[in-house]
Amino acid sequence: MTIGIPRSMFYYYFNKKWKYFFDYLNINTIISPKTNREILDNGIKLSTDEMCLSLKSYIGHVDYLKDKCDYILIPRIDNYGRKEQTCTNFLAIYDIINNIFDIKILDYNIDLENNETELEGLLKLSKILKKTKSEIKKAYSYACTMEGKEKKKTIIDNMNKLSSTKTKILLIGHSYNLYDSLIGVPIIKYLEKLNCEIIYSDLFDYKSTKDIVSKYSKNLYWKYSKQNISSLKYIDKVDGIIFLSTFPCGLDSLVNELVFRKINKPYLNLILDDLGGIAGIETRIESFVDIFEY
Amino acid sequence: MKCYLGIDIGSISTKGVIIDEENNIIASSYIWTEGNPVESVKKLVEILKQQLPEEYKIHGIGTTGSARKLIGIMLNANVVKNEITAHAVGTLAFHPDVKTILEIGGQDSKIIILRNGIIVDYAMNTLCAAGTGSFLSSQAKRLSIPIEDFGEIALTSKNPAKIAARCTVFAESDLIHKAQVGYSKQDIIAGLCKSIVLNYLNNVGKGKKIRGPIIFQGGVSKNKGVLKYFREILNEDVMVDENGHLMGAIGIAILSKKESSEKQYDLNIEDIKFITKANECNKCPNNCEILRIYKNDEHVDSWGSMCGKVK
Ligand code: SF4
Ligand code: SF4
Repeated sequence: MTIGIPRSMFYYYFNKKWKYFFDYLNINTIISPKTNREILDNGIKLSTDEMCLSLKSYIGHVDYLKDKCDYILIPRIDNYGRKEQTCTNFLAIYDIINNIFDIKILDYNIDLENNETELEGLLKLSKILKKTKSEIKKAYSYACTMEGKEKKKTIIDNMNKLSSTKTKILLIGHSYNLYDSLIGVPIIKYLEKLNCEIIYSDLFDYKSTKDIVSKYSKNLYWKYSKQNISSLKYIDKVDGIIFLSTFPCGLDSLVNELVFRKINKPYLNLILDDLGGIAGIETRIESFVDIFEY
Repeated sequence: MKCYLGIDIGSISTKGVIIDEENNIIASSYIWTEGNPVESVKKLVEILKQQLPEEYKIHGIGTTGSARKLIGIMLNANVVKNEITAHAVGTLAFHPDVKTILEIGGQDSKIIILRNGIIVDYAMNTLCAAGTGSFLSSQAKRLSIPIEDFGEIALTSKNPAKIAARCTVFAESDLIHKAQVGYSKQDIIAGLCKSIVLNYLNNVGKGKKIRGPIIFQGGVSKNKGVLKYFREILNEDVMVDENGHLMGAIGIAILSKKESSEKQYDLNIEDIKFITKANECNKCPNNCEILRIYKNDEHVDSWGSMCGKVK
């Protein structure tokens, strides 16, 4: 049995955990390659106009995997507790993919408000995976430990960058946008070429940064958005902020706007809708970074 | 004597200056790009060469504007920089205490906020045409009034029509409506100028701390009506520099001076054959469009490759 994992959306939150989990259980996985033009174009073709670019790209990844595996792994995430909801897409992707493709999906729920934990969800897969519940439990706890260790290291690295002597840019965006090879990576590469130190909004210890969110709004209930802006706890340590979103994203357009009104730092708002070329974006980034040099 | 060449090349116009060590302009020119940056720069350089006294030798070349990279390669520029930085540096050379630069050009508009001679914030309009010069010219055409007269006519209005400024489509239908219900041309034109200002402040200027001294630049700054409403609405003096259109070129010349060396440049580019060829790379599913630059049939540079491996 081979399980297909699209290198998009959820992947950027769970890839480490999944890797250790399936390795431990000795289950074969296949991950789609880094997003390329062909994957994205296929995704765009199969999606509807209202979908955000990130979701369109996800669909392209599923399309790539559809004949190469037995199942596509797609969690359904509703919330991580009260006021810790996710974007509706995180819940809907399962149905969207089910509608577009004729494939088998390996799915599980995360809905803490209704006591559906990640582990509960994975345990329910025991039949399909042909593993006992105790094997799954062990694999899960192993995966969590290993993931935790690696995460700690990335958080420390990210924190250390705050004392760099280079121009420090806080890059705020969803993980699946920041690290996508067609969305965030060209921007990151360009910033590095301009000799900037990049601090990532998703690589902080959310528990310790969380409090700051209420400074911007007391009513937000989207976990990942809150996590991203909680990085503003270190706003005084960076020179400038770049907000990176894909179009159309209701969450970002609301949350970022709330933040813009309250920050007192140079910022750049990049919204990607068409990935035709990066030239125009490079001009905007270069002039933004020049703020700190001229 | 040493001097420095700055070229600001956009899709519509090509501007060039040569400055001396003290930033005095010793040659300058402004021509249309006409869709061909290479030819227009050749033309521009010829004009500048004729203005340049013999004792001056070029020690630095800078390029800015949308075709800066291409022209930078063509001229062997020592500095290639975006137009926002170039504009700010140029403006600061003449107005060291400027705190806000408003710019409305043909296709886009910008705002640059400076404090103590340093850029602290900027924004660019990238989505909407309602706040730019091209909108004004298309409306001028619709009303059959030369765009050059717009400003003067606007100044005669006592009661500018209120025009929905949010977007070109709305603004246009609103304009037609205002004309039908009997507003005079003066009032409509004044309303248009005012709507440009409001749109600019709501879009590009949103949330920016606009303080004096303020300088207004770009093609639309020649329009006295727009200038008047900027002054009125901001309740601050707004200056227009007669060299405003050259600030980008001046700024990039200054930057090239800063990075210059003893190296001398000649400007004999007239006979250089300079061509670009676009090709699709099919080595991987990205299918990048690779643009290759040839100088006298020799491949000198290329861009567009996402992996950076294809030259
Ligand atoms: S949060 Fe925004 S970018 Fe992410 S899936 Fe939802 S709409 Fe798309
Ligand atoms: S230039 Fe590189 S990334 Fe682009 S298509 Fe060719 S091999 Fe692929």
